[in-house]
This record gives sequence, C-alpha cells and structure tokens, in this order.
Amino acid sequence: MPERVLVAMSGGVDSSVAAARLVEQGYEVVGATMKLFCYGDSVPDRPCCSLDSIDDARSVAHALGIPHYVLNFEDRFNRHVIQNFVDEYSRGRTPIPCVRCNSFTKFRDLLTHADALDCDRIATGHYAVARNGTLYRGRDPKKDQSYFLWGIDRAVVGRMLTPVGELTKQETRTYARRLGLVTADKKESVEICFVPDDDYVAVLERHLPVDAPALEPGAVVTTSGEQIGTHAGFARYTIGQRKGLPGGSREPRFVVAIRPETREVVVGGADELGGRRVTLGELNWLTDPLGVGDSCAVQLRYRAEAVAATVVAVDSGLQLALATPVRAITPGQSGVLYGPGGRVLGGGVIE
Amino acid sequence: MDPVYLDHAATTPVRPEARDAMLPFLGAEGFGNPSSMHRFGRTARGGLEQARRQVALALGAESGQVFFTSGGTEADNLAVMGAALAARRRGGSMRVAVSAIEHKAVLAAAHAVHRLGGVEEVLRVSADGVVDLDALDAALASRPAVVSVMWVNNEIGVIQPIAEIGRRCRAAGVLFHTDAVQAFGNLPVRFADTPCDLLTVSAHKVGGPKGIGALIVRNRQSIEPLIQGGGQQSGLRPGTENIAGAAGFGRAAELAAQEQPEHASRLTRLRTRLAERLLASVPDLVVVGERAERAPHILNVCVPSADSGALLMHLDLAGVAVSSGSACASGAADPSPVLTAMGIPAALAAGALRFSLGRDTDEAGVDRAAEVFPGVVAKVRAVTGALARA
Repeated sequence: MPERVLVAMSGGVDSSVAAARLVEQGYEVVGATMKLFCYGDSVPDRPCCSLDSIDDARSVAHALGIPHYVLNFEDRFNRHVIQNFVDEYSRGRTPIPCVRCNSFTKFRDLLTHADALDCDRIATGHYAVARNGTLYRGRDPKKDQSYFLWGIDRAVVGRMLTPVGELTKQETRTYARRLGLVTADKKESVEICFVPDDDYVAVLERHLPVDAPALEPGAVVTTSGEQIGTHAGFARYTIGQRKGLPGGSREPRFVVAIRPETREVVVGGADELGGRRVTLGELNWLTDPLGVGDSCAVQLRYRAEAVAATVVAVDSGLQLALATPVRAITPGQSGVLYGPGGRVLGGGVIE
Repeated sequence: MDPVYLDHAATTPVRPEARDAMLPFLGAEGFGNPSSMHRFGRTARGGLEQARRQVALALGAESGQVFFTSGGTEADNLAVMGAALAARRRGGSMRVAVSAIEHKAVLAAAHAVHRLGGVEEVLRVSADGVVDLDALDAALASRPAVVSVMWVNNEIGVIQPIAEIGRRCRAAGVLFHTDAVQAFGNLPVRFADTPCDLLTVSAHKVGGPKGIGALIVRNRQSIEPLIQGGGQQSGLRPGTENIAGAAGFGRAAELAAQEQPEHASRLTRLRTRLAERLLASVPDLVVVGERAERAPHILNVCVPSADSGALLMHLDLAGVAVSSGSACASGAADPSPVLTAMGIPAALAAGALRFSLGRDTDEAGVDRAAEVFPGVVAKVRAVTGALARA
C-alpha cells in the first residue's frame, strides 16, 4: 500500500507541482484547498474572493487524477492569523501572518484533517527541505521559504514532504509546463493572501474600531524627543520605513521605533537603525534548544542575510548578540536560527 | 465497489431514452436551423415543436406556454427580472418579493432588480422551512410586480404551500412565479391546475441533459425578455434554439411525468429506510424539516459536532457522493442561508448534509451509505474535537 499524503493546494504553481511530483513518486495523493477568508460574501451575485485559486487547484487535481476537497478554515484562520495580525499592528509591531498560518493553520489544523484521513504525510509547495525529521533551507536561495516555517511543531517535520524544496522556481515552472498544468505560468503572488492590493491598513480599518489608537493621529518625534510633525496612525509605519515621514532634514530619516502607549513614531538617521542585540519571544525549537554561549546564524527578515550570533541569555526570551550590526530590527518579524548546512534550529518573534 | 450517487438534487444521470432522442439533432438530418424555410429547417422545427409539446404535456401546460431557456437559472432570472421590467414598462415600480429560502438564481435576480433601482423584499420562513403567509400578505399589500416562492426547496425538500400562495397573489392581482425545478418528477406538477403565472423547470434534474430548461408562461405580455435578438420563441427568449437539448428534455419530461407516482412512492420508502438507518447509528442526528411536508427525494440532516466539508470529503473517499446542500461555488461548505433562515444554530448547520435520491437509487445503495456513515461521523467528530482543543 502506498503512503497516503494530504497535499495543501493553494492554486499556485508551487503546490501544483508538489502534488504532481508526489503522484509521480507513487504516493496516494489527496489534494486539499483551505478556504481561509472571504470578504464580500452574503451578496448572492458576487463570487467568493478565493474562487479563482480554488478552481485552479481543482483543475490541477483533476488533471493529476487525484481527489480534491475544499476545507473551510475561515473561522480558525480569522482567529489565529488575521486577529493576531491586527493585534500586532495595534501594538506597534510588524507581524508576519504567513508564519502563524504555517504554525497554526497548515501544519496543525490541516494536519488534524490529515490524521482523520489516515494520511501519514502532509505536503506543501514550500521552498524548504524536510529530511529525516530535520528542516533545511530550500535549494533556491532566491525562493527559500524556511524563514516562515520555524514555528511548526517539531514532531510534524518528520511527517512533512517538501517536493519542490530541491527545485528552483524555474525548474518548478518547467515541470509544470511539461505536465501542461494550468498554473504553470501563473503570476507569482507576493502579497499577503488576505490583504488585497497590499493595502494592509484597509484590513486594519475593517477589523479595528473607528477610534483605535493605532489608526489615530500622533506625533512624529526624533530620538532626542523633538516633535517634527504628525502622522495618521502608527500602524501605518514599520521600523526602517522612510516613506510618509515629514521632510526638511538634510539627512534621510527613518522610523527607528514605534511607541504605541504614546502613539509616537520615532525617527532617526541611518546610523540609528542598526542593532547588535535581539531578543526573541514565542520560541519554538526544531532541534534541542540552544543554551548560553551557543552560536548559530540568525535571519531577522525574509530574504535578509543571516548573521552570526551567540546566545547571551535564555531567561526571558532568547537573547542573541550579533556579530555584525543588523539594520532595522523589527519587533513582530521572525528571528530564525540556522545551523550548518542551512538546518533550521528554531526561531521566535522579535521582541 | 461502485460509488453510490446520492446527489440527485444537484443533477441526475442522463437517461438513455433522452440521449437517444437527442442524437438525430446532432446528426446529418436534424442539424438544421428551425427558423429556416427549407427541409432541413422543417426537420429541426418538427423536433423542436415535438419537444415543446412533450414538455407542455408533462407539465399540464399548453405548447405555446413553454419557453425554452438555457436552464433553471435563466428561467428564474427571466421570471423575476422580466416581471420587474414589465412592471416598469407599465409605469409601475420594480418591486419583487421572494422567500428567504429561494435558490440563488432567484435571490440574485431579485438583488439585480434592486440594483436596477427596484426593491427586493425577502419573505421569512417558519422554523419548519415553510414560507410565512402573514409575511406574504404584508408584501402583497405593497403590490410587488412578482412574488417568487419555490415549490420544493432544493436543500431541505420542504414543500411550500404553492396553491395558497398563488390564490393570495391572484386575489391581490400580483404575478406569481414558482421555481418547480425540484418538484417536477417528484410531485405531481400541473400548470393548468396551479394558480401560478410563471413556472421554472430544468431538464437535468429529471434525467435530461444540462443546458436546457424552460419557463412556463401563462401570459406572454406579463414579462419582458432579458436578451434581445431574432424573433424566436415570440421574442421572449430569442436565439437559435438548442434543439438536441430540447429533444432530450422533452423525452425526459415525458417519462418523468409518467413515472412520477411510482417514483415518488419508491423514493419515499427508500428515504425512510435511509433516515431510520442513519438515526440508528448516529442517534443525535437532526432531520431538517421533519415536521413539514417534504418531497420524497431529499433528506437533509445536521450532524452535531461535525463539519459538512469534512463529512463530504470522508464520504466521498468511502464512495458515497452527497452534498452539503449549500456548496458555494468554491466547493467549501458555508453555513446554509436556508438553515439559517429556519433559525437553526450555526454550529448545528455547520454539519448539514443533503442526501438526495433518484431513479437509479436502490436499497443496496442506501444501505451502503448508512453503513459507512457512523464511521465517517466518528472520524470527523474526532477532527472537530481535536480542533476545538487546539
């Protein structure tokens, strides 16, 4: 009996190819698309927002001859991902919902369904490599998505299959074209799935009360405390941002801190953006935990270079000393710890 | 093992007789355009008019009252929007009243009327899923262009009091449309004896092909066409007719009407058997609309502490094809607006399943479904429990 795999099919080319490769490798494959959100429902004559992707996933599954189902995760996704996204911005932080979606939705809630379907394995179209219970970076450095996967349960890594992790994006597309999959030349989606047109403030406005402090005007101040202007809500800013700040200074100014208690956005020069220390909370380990004095590489933003780091404290969160300063360390983003060979050791949320 | 198909309210297999009736019009002799004067046209016209007679006879209507459409959705749109447009032509207001449990084709058509500057009014239903007649009376007082209430609800199978609604509409001088898509073939449907002005039927629910249906129209002047073209079908539904489809529909309709009494009593027996067996293995199952009069082919149940989408998936993998009754186009099971309108709590409605029986359903199939059901429910409940704890 071949092993049965549940593959999460988003309707994009990566998960389409993931499913195709598993079929080719002889697994018994069941495709599932998670319906995560729907705005503008209740109007009977408008289609669901994610309908096109679901249709794409369905036609790929049909072409591959595998069963395909749509599972409604709207409530849970809203609770575990969208709410957290809104809360984090309200706290002056810059969240990564994809990390929460992987930790809570794909590799926990969907896995529960996989269990009930007697699926030994769960697969996705992530560019990362799960091998023998260990997670590594994907082979294509431009596409590597291991940064988003640090939060999944360690035991789950042993059940994960990552059929496109060893491919480059180009190879994935070539593979999809060779099979004639409808998703082969689909445009890459770079936005957050539930944030249309990259307008995250619109999402916050929809979820927050009208008088939410995060969207109320406040002061823009310098690091020495001088007010130089006002802003229309600190949730519109992230650390390192240059856009939307008052002009008039000789040197370029960047957001260096957000103070939600006073609704202040603090700006400073480029020299004030660098940091050599970082504390990670909400830790999750995919190996045995590191201790004081251990070293690793830490990546503090998606697509940023990882830098060498040493653990200096573990009492309240994981404190790391960085070998070189890192620009714009942003609370709410992930700090992902890597070992030799691109092995993912674990990670946490930047405090 | 062959899969068991219990989703006949979604669609039915094409009957061989219907398929045979279609073939001449897909071949060298019958391909003509029925509007053409020559012999090819005459052959095609002959086939079309025979199909129209068959549909008319099956529905207790006259041939001239049958207008072929592309299906039930188009017929519903033509009735609701066409009546609103006709009211506007006569200088009246575009007000339409539809029940809360109508098929999306009717609800969306009513909403389209609203967007065109008219008024859509939604009639509430009782906890049993029956349209509230007081709500109807209140709606009639404001003289809508048309009232639309389905004969049999497609999700729960509850029969609506069509005769009484029609009588009240007539007394108020208001057009009455009924979507009889789920009624035809399962209940006796005779247009001549029904106090309605417009009636929708669809071929593929009675063993005919997809892509053809009809609106039965008592008075051609009561509605305006929605599409413009040549003068086919009195200009009410122009466009070269789908003759092969009509021929298949005609034959299927004829058979459906002939077989209806025996079909209904057979399905009633099978449905009772299915319901008894499901309840025996899952005792907290809730049968929806149990106290109301129901068409024989639909059994809608709610499984407490379970999710429809997961139930469907597991049943499909076990070889049993059913529906949640309210699949949104995405295939994800959303809480059914019909069950919501009946006041069924969202948590219970989340576990809704529709079993719908048809001509090819037999005891063995019903028993197979009943046999796999408790195992599937247990698995899905385990998921629901695990997710609730997570």
